[in-house]
Amino acid sequence: MTTETEATTAEQPSANGADRLAGQPDIIMTEGVDKWFGDFQALDDVTLSVKEHEIVVILGPSGSGKSTFIRCLNRLEEHDAGRIVIDGIELNEDVRNLRAIREEVGMVFQQFNLFPHLSVLNNITLGPQKVRRMPKLDAEQLAMELLERVGIPEQADKYPTQLSGGQQQRVAIARALAMRPKIMLFDEPTSALDPEMIKEVLDVMRELAESGMTMLVVTHEMGFAREVADRLVFFDEGQLIEQGTPQHFFESPREERTKLFLSQIL
Amino acid sequence: MAEQPPIPPPAAAAPPQPPRKVVLPPHRERAHRPWRVRAEEWVRRNLFASPGQTLLTFASLALVGLVIAGAVWFVFFQANWRVITVNRWLLFAGGFPLDEKWRLWLSVALVFPLIGAAYGMWASLGRRDLLFIALAGAFVFFLTAHGDAGPSSSVWFAASLALFFLGYRVCRFVPRETGRPRTLAVRTLAALLALALPLVLIVLMVGGGAQASQFGGFMLNLILAPVGIVGGLLLAVPLALGRASSLRAISWTCTAYIEVIRGAPLIGWLFVALFILEDVISSPLIVRTMIVLAVFTAAYVAEYIRGGLQSLPRGQGEAGHAVGLSHLQTLQVIVLPQALRVSIPPIVGQAIGLWKDTALISIILPLRELVGNSRAAIAQAEFIPDRIEVYAFAAVLFWIVAFMMSRISQRMERAQGVGER
Ligand SMILES: Nc1ncnc2c1ncn2[C@@H]1O[C@H](COP(=O)(O)OP(=O)(O)OP(=O)(O)O)[C@@H](O)[C@H]1O
Ligand SMILES: [Mg+2]
Repeated sequence: MTTETEATTAEQPSANGADRLAGQPDIIMTEGVDKWFGDFQALDDVTLSVKEHEIVVILGPSGSGKSTFIRCLNRLEEHDAGRIVIDGIELNEDVRNLRAIREEVGMVFQQFNLFPHLSVLNNITLGPQKVRRMPKLDAEQLAMELLERVGIPEQADKYPTQLSGGQQQRVAIARALAMRPKIMLFDEPTSALDPEMIKEVLDVMRELAESGMTMLVVTHEMGFAREVADRLVFFDEGQLIEQGTPQHFFESPREERTKLFLSQIL
Repeated sequence: MAEQPPIPPPAAAAPPQPPRKVVLPPHRERAHRPWRVRAEEWVRRNLFASPGQTLLTFASLALVGLVIAGAVWFVFFQANWRVITVNRWLLFAGGFPLDEKWRLWLSVALVFPLIGAAYGMWASLGRRDLLFIALAGAFVFFLTAHGDAGPSSSVWFAASLALFFLGYRVCRFVPRETGRPRTLAVRTLAALLALALPLVLIVLMVGGGAQASQFGGFMLNLILAPVGIVGGLLLAVPLALGRASSLRAISWTCTAYIEVIRGAPLIGWLFVALFILEDVISSPLIVRTMIVLAVFTAAYVAEYIRGGLQSLPRGQGEAGHAVGLSHLQTLQVIVLPQALRVSIPPIVGQAIGLWKDTALISIILPLRELVGNSRAAIAQAEFIPDRIEVYAFAAVLFWIVAFMMSRISQRMERAQGVGER
């Protein structure tokens, strides 16, 4: 296990705005998380804490467990060992805890996963109406505000398949935001997009970061990572190998595997 | 103007241009020729392309001609249709009390506009459908209303047909593309269709109407099949979900149900309704038959729904959970609506199959549906030679309904996948 290397967190002022996170409480806390798929260990003793309003970008080669890790945070995958605590709520078998956590954690998928049988508007109003019991009109007003925010209010009455990939992903972000989450998880949100649409999605994510959202982002967009992240985290073979500021990562990565990965991707 | 083309070089420098020829894409070009030429070409290419094909064409024409000639000869010169007109109450309504005839007609008048509406919503009445409806209408009208004591049957029937077209017209105003208005209209129609059956039963039975045991003839087929289909659908949803469940006990139970039911023919299960089920549920035979039909249909429909469930990407359920929906809510608003939509075409196929299978019932059970009462009709001394008339009549009635179902389902299938998965 790599407990030693994990300790080398660079607790220096973050690259983006000095110590804007100083004194913030930890909103996500994982401790020794393991995940097995049959005999295959996808996560190996992952310990990570994220402060409120922090932007963490997760890097790592394919199959290193990045998706598995963030999917454990809202229990789309159940972890086999270790603890996960989100905003003070323990993630375990208790269904009430799970419900409370899922209301606080929004997720955006690589494949968008919009509901194709519902209009754009209803994709967004579904959560607030069904989970938060918000009246229909309020939910629709909220949905329109969010569509405004992601820049596509004119698409409200269309169906997902009638939108471009970039527009779909922005709807997916609006859908997650409609639950007023404290934390947003992004699993390679731009990987399924054509290059000209990547920017429109990243712009929305930037705006979201500036608004103070706590974000965990799995991405290969190094420009975004360098510019927006407070902290970068590097996974390999299910282990959290190295973490630190963007500056640390891009200028003086310590681990060989990190160097190799960055040399391939940059 | 800035966009003027450059001045052409002097004529001497370039050879004079030939007059420009408009080149149309092949299909446009063909469309420009007179229909007679096109018809000729079609005939040549599709019927007489080679000596062998020419031979086959003539052989088929001869065969079809013979059959049609034979049928026309039979219908107009040979057949004795009195067997139908005399027995029409028996064939249509069995033991239903004659005094309560208005209840039957009222049911027809309730259901026809809904069928018209379904046609309008999913299909459109082409020339072929109109021809079909005209023929079928004339056929039924002639054999039901003809020679009636008063005008009441004619009036009822004409009114029902008018309501059919009204329902059709109204639903033609619903926009074709998916959107909120269409969703709303489809839901309303589905609800009305679901309500139709109980409503018809109320009209038939409540307030001094008929007993269930008096139902018979074609009317009984028309009641049993929808009960089997609707009941089967309702049962099939939990079965399909159960089979896909991760709880072994549940998935094994559901799998066993499905495989056992599908392992024996309907006729076998009708035997069960007659002999075995009576010891379990003390209820009239007609109710036991309904149960068997629903249970039988459910096993097949469950498999189609399971196919629909499997066709959904895993991300759909995950996205539902991620926005905080419970397991049940995710099923209800995300997974099932999509899975059911995918499995509509095979379910309609199953419905058509069950519709035709209701003809089996009177072979096993002492329930007199259309085929059973056809046999009763030709058991009368006077009509013993008129077998063919009676069975041909029954076959046409079955075919009319099956044809309408398949038309609507074909169009529904084609309409799928526009803005939806
Ligand atoms: N449901 C599953 N069943 C079995 N193995 C799985 C399952 N999900 C993931 N894995 C395995 O776990 C490992 C980690 O997968 P994960 O999707 O977390 O990787 P990743 O870092 O997100 O990779 P990528 O960059 O390709 O998305 C992979 O080897 C994968 O094959
Ligand atoms: Mg991944």
